[in-house]
Amino acid sequence: MNIISDMLTIIRGKREGIKPTHLMYKANLSHNQMKLYLNELIKKNLIEKTISKKDNRITITKSGRDFLLQYTRMKEFEKTFGL
Amino acid sequence: MKIVLTPDWFIGKDLPIYFISLVVLIIISVLAIRSYKLNKKNKGLLNLGIGFGLIALATLAGVFTKLVLYYDIGPAQAIGQAIITSQIFSSVDVFYYLGFFFHNLLFLIGLYIIYRVPKKRLNLGDYVLTLYLLALSALLSVNEGFFYLFNLTSLILLTLIIKHYYKIYKENKFANTKLLLIVFSILALSNFIYIFSQLEILYVLANIIEILSYVILLFLIIRILKHGEKKKPYEHNIRYADNNPRKKRRN
Repeated sequence: MNIISDMLTIIRGKREGIKPTHLMYKANLSHNQMKLYLNELIKKNLIEKTISKKDNRITITKSGRDFLLQYTRMKEFEKTFGL
Repeated sequence: MKIVLTPDWFIGKDLPIYFISLVVLIIISVLAIRSYKLNKKNKGLLNLGIGFGLIALATLAGVFTKLVLYYDIGPAQAIGQAIITSQIFSSVDVFYYLGFFFHNLLFLIGLYIIYRVPKKRLNLGDYVLTLYLLALSALLSVNEGFFYLFNLTSLILLTLIIKHYYKIYKENKFANTKLLLIVFSILALSNFIYIFSQLEILYVLANIIEILSYVILLFLIIRILKHGEKKKPYEHNIRYADNNPRKKRRN
């Protein structure tokens, strides 16, 4: 869950989308790990992959932004109540 | 018989206090349950949601009872009239006992659940015994002579809750936990004053202090909700080994 939220936060930080390799480095994940998480996030419609001739980019969807918002609030709530 | 401790000049003026409390409690309960839906491993979130939800229900019972008592409205009149005709109780007595009993019971169970959140599960017998004692306290405090029992029990539960959150605050030094500690402390203070609320001025003072605690709770909720909208400054390199927020938090 933490890794997913961190990945979404990184992707959200790049308005024009992020290259998978950059995401891999920034999220400090191995290639296989990232592939696994990316598939999961795409399946859940939290991110989308745009494939063009120039490069591949990953962008966050509206559901992804909403999820991140709820997740951040949940973490804050947990921290407040020491849970 | 004096049905409520509310001074005559304050009747009706206390209802907005109940309404505000109700809204705040519903919001925090919904927030906790929604958080639980996101992380079902954390049962504490669910228990917190249920605890605050029960206190919200208690407040609702209080609002309804006071509305009926103050304004003798709607179905209460019909039911009350039927009971009066059968010469059992007056309508006011029936709503007074039922309404305030449920208010007291739900409030105490709600506080008890919040107190139990960080603790290990007890066996069924202990829960039954606790429920019995809380119900006894709620039932006795409906009687004029023992009205303070409810506030005394609430005060004890709140003191235990405060002790727990003080311990958490000492560990995390988190501003929100400090606010939460303040909320429960003010609520405890209002319950302490309610014990002496046969003095009109103290009843009003306790009401004002109680609403202050709910206003601070609302402020805390807004802080939690606003936090989700903030973009973190480190979000461009969040998981770098040298700039990992989780690593920093450990220091």
